[in-house]
Amino acid sequence: MQGASSGIGYGLKYQARCISDVSADTDHTSFLTGTLSLKEENEVHLIRLSSGGTELICEGLFSHPNEIWDLRSCPFDQRIFSSVYSSGESFGAAVWQIPELYGQLNSPQLEKIASLDSHEGKINCVIWWPSGKQDKLISIDQEKILLWNIDCSKKIAQVQSQESTGMLHYLSGGAWDPHDVNALAATCESSVQFWDLRTMKKTNSIECTHVHDLEYDTKKNHILVTAEDESGIHIWDLRMPRVPMQELPGHAHWTWTVRCNPQYDGLILSAGTDSTVNLWLSSSSGDGMVESPTRRSNPLLNTYSDYEDSVYSVAWSSREPWIFASLSYDGRVVVESVKSYLSRK
Amino acid sequence: MAANDVPLDDKAKRMRDLLSSFYSPDPSMSSSSPKLASLDSINTASFDANQYMNLLVQKSNLEVLLKRHVEMAAEIKNLDTDLQMLVYENYNKFISATDTIKRMKSNIVGMETNMEQLLEKITSVQSRSDGVNTSLFEKREHIEKLHRTRNLLRKVQFIYDLPARLGKCIKSEAYADAVKFYTGAMPIFRTYGDSSFQDCKRASEEAMQTIIRNLQGKLFSDSESIQSRAEAAVLLKQLDFPVDSLKVKLLEKLEQSLADLELKIEKLEPAGEDSSNLYQGGSLVDNHEDSVREFSEAVRAYLVIFPDSKNQLISLSRDLLSRHFEALQQYVHERISSADLVNILKIIWTDVLLLDNVLEEAGLPVVSLEAAQVVVKKYISSKFSIFQQDISDSLVGPKERVEEYTLQVALETGKKTVLQGSMDALLDFRLLLDDKLEPVVNLRDLIIDYVQEGFQGFFRTLYDCFVLLSEKKSASEQGLKEMAQSDKALTGLVLVLSQISVFIEQGAIPRITEEIASSFSGGGARGYEYGPAFVPGEICRRFRSAGDKFINLYIKMRTQRISVILRKRFMTPNWIKHKEPRDVHMFVDLLLRELEAAGSEVKQILPQGIRKHRHSDSNGSTASSRSNPLRDDRLGRSNTSRARSQLLETHLAKLFKQKVEIFTKVEYTQESVVSTIVKLSLKSLQEFVRLQTFNRSGFQQIQLDIQFLRLPLKEISEDEAAVDFLLDEVIVAASERCLDPIPLEPPILDKLIQAKLAKG
Repeated sequence: MQGASSGIGYGLKYQARCISDVSADTDHTSFLTGTLSLKEENEVHLIRLSSGGTELICEGLFSHPNEIWDLRSCPFDQRIFSSVYSSGESFGAAVWQIPELYGQLNSPQLEKIASLDSHEGKINCVIWWPSGKQDKLISIDQEKILLWNIDCSKKIAQVQSQESTGMLHYLSGGAWDPHDVNALAATCESSVQFWDLRTMKKTNSIECTHVHDLEYDTKKNHILVTAEDESGIHIWDLRMPRVPMQELPGHAHWTWTVRCNPQYDGLILSAGTDSTVNLWLSSSSGDGMVESPTRRSNPLLNTYSDYEDSVYSVAWSSREPWIFASLSYDGRVVVESVKSYLSRK
Repeated sequence: MAANDVPLDDKAKRMRDLLSSFYSPDPSMSSSSPKLASLDSINTASFDANQYMNLLVQKSNLEVLLKRHVEMAAEIKNLDTDLQMLVYENYNKFISATDTIKRMKSNIVGMETNMEQLLEKITSVQSRSDGVNTSLFEKREHIEKLHRTRNLLRKVQFIYDLPARLGKCIKSEAYADAVKFYTGAMPIFRTYGDSSFQDCKRASEEAMQTIIRNLQGKLFSDSESIQSRAEAAVLLKQLDFPVDSLKVKLLEKLEQSLADLELKIEKLEPAGEDSSNLYQGGSLVDNHEDSVREFSEAVRAYLVIFPDSKNQLISLSRDLLSRHFEALQQYVHERISSADLVNILKIIWTDVLLLDNVLEEAGLPVVSLEAAQVVVKKYISSKFSIFQQDISDSLVGPKERVEEYTLQVALETGKKTVLQGSMDALLDFRLLLDDKLEPVVNLRDLIIDYVQEGFQGFFRTLYDCFVLLSEKKSASEQGLKEMAQSDKALTGLVLVLSQISVFIEQGAIPRITEEIASSFSGGGARGYEYGPAFVPGEICRRFRSAGDKFINLYIKMRTQRISVILRKRFMTPNWIKHKEPRDVHMFVDLLLRELEAAGSEVKQILPQGIRKHRHSDSNGSTASSRSNPLRDDRLGRSNTSRARSQLLETHLAKLFKQKVEIFTKVEYTQESVVSTIVKLSLKSLQEFVRLQTFNRSGFQQIQLDIQFLRLPLKEISEDEAAVDFLLDEVIVAASERCLDPIPLEPPILDKLIQAKLAKG
C-alpha cells in the first residue's frame, strides 16, 4: 500500500493462487483467475483490461464448486479453461466452459465439459499444449502423468495413456514443450524429468532439487527455465543438460514461478514468496558464459515489490506481450506494463 | 702632378708596346691593343689624325691648342729616342750571336779523329772477350753439372738420414722440425718411395707415426700449455691428419664435462636450501666455479686451436646456460626463498661472466638476462601458487581431525596465512629487488611489475579458489551419502571464507597496498596506458562482494537444511486425518538443533553486533497482520459467516500495522546471520503450511509446535518482533487452511509444552 504504483489493481474476495492469460481472446487483453478458499464459495473471475489500459474490468464472475489450485485457459478457445480443485480432503480436475454472456453478471454457472477423474492422489496441474489447437490434455498428479483425448464439442475426455512414475518420485508439476508436441518436462523432488508422450517413457532428466515451476522458452527451442526453492532461477539448454546455461539469483525467499515472455527474447518474469515480482533479462545468447562477471550488466531489470503477501502466479499477456498480470496470495491482481524496460534491450 | 704622371706612364707603356710589337708577329695580340677606341686617344690603330685635329680645334681654345702642340712635340721627340734605343739594343744582340757561332765552328774541327780511335779500341775489346768466353765455356759447364750432382747427393743423403733425424727430433721433442723435414721429403717419397727409398720411406713413416701419436697425446692432454697444444694441432693439420675428427672428439669431451657441470648444480641445490649446511654449500659453489673456470679455459683453448669451432663452442656454452636455467626453473617450483634464487642466479651469473670473457660472440649475458627474466617471472608466479595452496590448505584444515579443527582456528590460521604469507612474499621479493646482482638489477622494473601483476592475479585466483571451494562443498552436499559428515565442515568453511574475504578486503589489501606502494612503486615496463598492474580497488570490490556472497551462501545452505526437515515434516503426514496432538512434534527439536549448530558456528567466527530493533534497509517486506496472535476467542468463532469478515479484518489490520521487515540485508554479526536464518526458516514454514489442508487436530498440532518454538526462537533471534510476527503468520496460515480451526485450550497447550520441556 506504499510507494507509487504504476500497476492497475483488482481485488478478489478471497485468497488466490492462480492467474492465467486468456490467450485465445484476440480482441481483448484478459486474464482468468480463481480463488482459494476452503470454506467459502469460490469464484472464477474473467478480468479484462479496458481499452485505454487504465482499468481492470470484471467481465465475468462464476462460482466454482471448490477451491482452485490450478487454472489454465484453453489456448484455442477463450471460453474453455481447466482447473484443479480441492475440497480439502480430495482433489479433482475438470475442463469448464464459460457460458455465453448476455450482459448479466450474476454468477451464472460454469458448464463442466469434462471431469478428469482418473486421479487418486493430489493433482498438481492440467496442461494444455501452448502452441495451438490440440485435442490432447495432460494432467499430472503426484504419481502419474495422464494424457487425455478431449473433444470439447462432444464433451468427452478419455485417458489415452498414463504412466506411473513409481513411489519414490512425487511429481509436483510440469510443462509441455511448445516446440514438440510429444515432449513433456515434469518436476519431481530431486530432478526435472523429460517424457516422451508417444511411448510414455522417461527420456532424460536434469538433477536439480525442489523445482517449483518450469517453463519452456516459447521463442527458442531447447531452452528451459526452472524456478527453485533456494537457488533461484536456472536457464537450461536441453542439448547440454549437465550445467545450467545461466543462473539468476531469484528471490530473497523461494522463487515460486517463472514465465518467459512470449514475444521478447530473454525477458523472464519471476515471482516469489518474498512478496516481489522480478523482471529479468537473460543473456541467453550463449556467449554470456564467457563474459566476465564484472562486465556483465545486471540481469535484474526491475523488482515490483508492491505486494502484501507471497506472489504465486504471474502471467504475460499474449496479446500485448509487454503487459503482465500478477496475483498475490491475498487475492490482489496487479497488471503492470514493462514497456519502459523494453527499450533497454 | 697628375699631368706629369700621365705622360710618364704613357711612356713606359708605349715602350713595352713597341718592344712586344717588334717581337710578336701579330700586333693585334699585343696587350696594349686598345679596346676602347675613342677619338681622342692617339695610341690606337684606328687613329684618324684629321678627325683628331678637328675635334681638338673645335673643343679647345688657342691657349690649349698651343699647350697641346708643345706637349705633342715633346712626345714625338721622346718617341724618336726610344726608337733609337731599340734599334741599338737589337744590333748588340746580333753581334753577340755571331760571336758565339764563330767560336763553335773552331771547337768542332778536331773531333772527328778522336771518334775514329775510340771505335777501333772498342772493336778490339769485343774480340778479346769473345775469345775468353769460348775458352772457358766447357769448364763452366762441367762445374755446373758437378754442382747439381752435389745438390742431388745432398738430398739423397738427407733422405737416408731422415729416419735417424726424425728419431733425434722425437727424442728432443722438436716435432715442428720433424714435420718440416718430413714434409720436405714428401715429394721424393711420393715419386721414388716405391723403388729406391723404400726402406727409408718405411722407417721415416714409422717415425712419423710416433710423432703423430705424440702430437695427438699432446693435443688431448690438458696439462700441456695451450700454446703447445695449438702447435700440435697445427702440425697435425700439416701432416694431413684428419683434425676435424679430433675436434669432434674434443668437443664431445667438452660436452661430457658439461653434463658434469650440470650435475654439480643439482647437487648444490639441496645444500643451498639447507642453511645449516652452508659451509658445504659454499665449498660446492667453489667446486662448481672451479669447474666452470676449467670449462671456460678449455673453451678458450679450443678457440685458439680450432678457430673454426667457434659456432659449436657458442652453442655449447649456450647449451650449458640453458641447462642451468632449466635446472633453476625446476627448482623454482619448489619452496625456495629469494635468497636461494639469488644465490643460484649469482652462480650462474659468474659462470656467464667467465664464459663471456672467453666467448664474447655467444652473447651469453643477453641470453642469460632473458632466461633470468623468465625464471624470475616463474619464481614469482610459483611463489604465489604455493601461497595460494597454503591458504586453501589452512582453510580446509587437516582432514583427519575435523572435530578439533574448530572454525575459529581455521579462521585465525586462514587470516594469518593470508597476511603473513603476503607479507613474507613481499619481503622476499624485496630481497630480490635489493640484490645488487647485475641481471637482477636489470630486471628491477620488470620484477616490480611481476610482483604487482602477481598480487593482482593471486587475489583473482584466490577468489576463484574460494568460489571453487564453496561450490565443491555445496555440490558434494547434494550427494546425500556423506552429508552428515562432510556437511558440517562445509557450512563452516563457507562462513570462514566469507570472513576471510572481509578480512582480505579490510585488513590485508590495505596493508599490501601500503607495502607495495612503499617498495614496489615504479616499474612501468608496461605502458602507462594500462595503468598500474596492482589495482587494490578492484580486488576490494571483488572480495567485498565475495564476502556478501559467501555469507548469503552460508545462510542459504543452512536454510536449505532446515527446509529439508520442514519438507519432511509437512509432506509426509496426512494432515486432514491428523490425530489429536499429544506431544510437541520432534521436528521442533531438529529445527532447534540446526539453529543451534548454525549459532555455534556463527559465534566462533562472527563478531557480536549491537542489538538493534529494526533495520532500515530492507529489500522486501511483509506487513504484520496482528500485533497479538489470534486470540482464542476470535479463532473460536469458526463458523463460515465469520470467516469472510475475518479476511477483511486481516486486510484492514495490515493497512494499519507497522511494517515488520523480514528480508533485510545481512550484516557480518552473529545476530544478523542467525536471525536471518530463523526468519527465512519461519517463512518457509509458513509456505509449507499454506500448501496443506488441516483438520482440527492438525491445526492444533501446528499451534502447539509453534507455541513451543516461540520462546527459544526469540532467544536465538535478534529480531523478536519479526519472529513473533512470522510465528503468528504460520498460525494464521494454518487456521486459514483448516477446515475446523478450533485452537487448543491454553491449559492443555501449557501442559503439553511443560511436558516437552521436562522431557527435553
